[in-house]
Amino acid sequence: MNPVVRWFHQLGSPPTFDRFAARWAPWAYGSALLVMAYGIWAALFQVPADYQQGDSFRILYIHVPSAWMSMAIYAAIALIWRIKLCEILAMACAPIGAAFTLITLATGSIWGRPMWGTWWDWDPRLTTELILLFLYLGVIGLYGAIDDRRAAARAAGLLAIVGVVLLPVIRYSVVWWNSLHQGQTIRLLGESSIDASMLPPLFAMIIGTKLWFIGSLLARARADNLLREFGKDWVKALAETRR
Amino acid sequence: MSTPTLLQAARALLARDLRLLWRRRGDALQPALFALLVIVLFALALGGEPQLLAKVAAGVLWVAALLSGLLALDTLFRGDAEDGSLEQWMLAPVPLAWLVLVRTLIHWATTALPLLLATPLLAELLQLPRTQLPVLLAALALGTPLLSLLGAIVAALTVGMRRSGILVALLALPLYVPVLVFGAGSVAQASQGLDPTGGLLLLGAGLVLTLVLAPLTAAAAIRIALN
Amino acid sequence: MSYLNYVIAAYMVFVVVLLWDFVATRVQIAQLLRSARLRAQRAKPAQAGAADGRHIL
Repeated sequence: MNPVVRWFHQLGSPPTFDRFAARWAPWAYGSALLVMAYGIWAALFQVPADYQQGDSFRILYIHVPSAWMSMAIYAAIALIWRIKLCEILAMACAPIGAAFTLITLATGSIWGRPMWGTWWDWDPRLTTELILLFLYLGVIGLYGAIDDRRAAARAAGLLAIVGVVLLPVIRYSVVWWNSLHQGQTIRLLGESSIDASMLPPLFAMIIGTKLWFIGSLLARARADNLLREFGKDWVKALAETRR
Repeated sequence: MSTPTLLQAARALLARDLRLLWRRRGDALQPALFALLVIVLFALALGGEPQLLAKVAAGVLWVAALLSGLLALDTLFRGDAEDGSLEQWMLAPVPLAWLVLVRTLIHWATTALPLLLATPLLAELLQLPRTQLPVLLAALALGTPLLSLLGAIVAALTVGMRRSGILVALLALPLYVPVLVFGAGSVAQASQGLDPTGGLLLLGAGLVLTLVLAPLTAAAAIRIALN
Repeated sequence: MSYLNYVIAAYMVFVVVLLWDFVATRVQIAQLLRSARLRAQRAKPAQAGAADGRHIL
């Protein structure tokens, strides 16, 4: 059998996945911290003062919808092929995505304060982010509300797929709504061209947040895996040998 | 015995649902009544001044219709889930999605249609300018079936859950946003003197797509929930 | 107008949320492993007692 396929099958075994996740999560977290530290330092000190406003966080507007995309892909694989590991991975994506959406909302609001004078504006981007947060909370809530873990993951996974189909529609409708009621769209982050010196920190933040996402995904998937397999012997053995 | 055709199954479901509804006739008016209450509350909260009410009338009517639809969602599958009929649906020779579609449309006809008919009266309460009424009615006529169909997906995902309450609202709200935006937005367009057909056509296109996709999704959700 | 406060606030939000994400997951795993360990300990004397044929009252 193809070694890659074999490795993938082996990963589906809960104790193997636990070892894999426990081993690699710290590496993902660590490298994420390094890369993000560079990104933040470069954004704050290496870049013309004008661009300190929020450019390094712009990528969150790209990152967050892509986080939903990865959740939906795991969910689709889980639903079509009934792979338990993918169910776990899909559900683990939700809290991380929600956390990044929260960051996006908070930082967007903070950055908008000097510009609008208020803490909130029904800017199309912020409004879509808020609705996206509700979608994430819905997936998390649905997953938590059903007792049978597998049925819960499949139901929440279906919701994630519905969400991925509707997200562009929602985004389009909010943009349309904004142009209708506000005439001239005063965007939160204007269409300023990105200064070349801004690119390294921007890329660093993109890569850094992706790495953090992977680390957090592995850790949360590990937790869910342990929860699902709770009564099993390998969990008991693990609990006694490690902390 | 040969398998029933889609139409026969639809007719049978229609007859059953109408008979059941007739036994509790009063329930049919509850959504319209709830919408009325919402409107009264808005009017009281906003101060009842005619010019202000006229400006917000279309939006408030849309929100009232949306909220009453959300409330009515509970009755979509609950009765059948509780007495085991939903499992019979899964075993039926007719596609589950078809049964879901028929049930949803009947549900719309019995909960949202009375509201639609009451809209001119409700619009008067909110001093809606007469010129906006046709657009509002068209938008609601296209939008409320959409809300019912999208709501069916949410109801199917949460079927069998006893204390779903706020979860249903949380799940439904993001799905409802485009409908609300285009529906209320069309009326706003008309009030600004622009052509509202753009928004209405988008609603129509959405309705056609959802008529096909929502029952399939809801059927998948029911299978997940009852397996 | 100084944007410094806003910049600091934004980065603080970023750091706090990611910190919560990290800590919450670690705590969850630790609690799961701990309750598994306790459960295993509770099961052991019962197994030993049953094997000896003595009753634990």
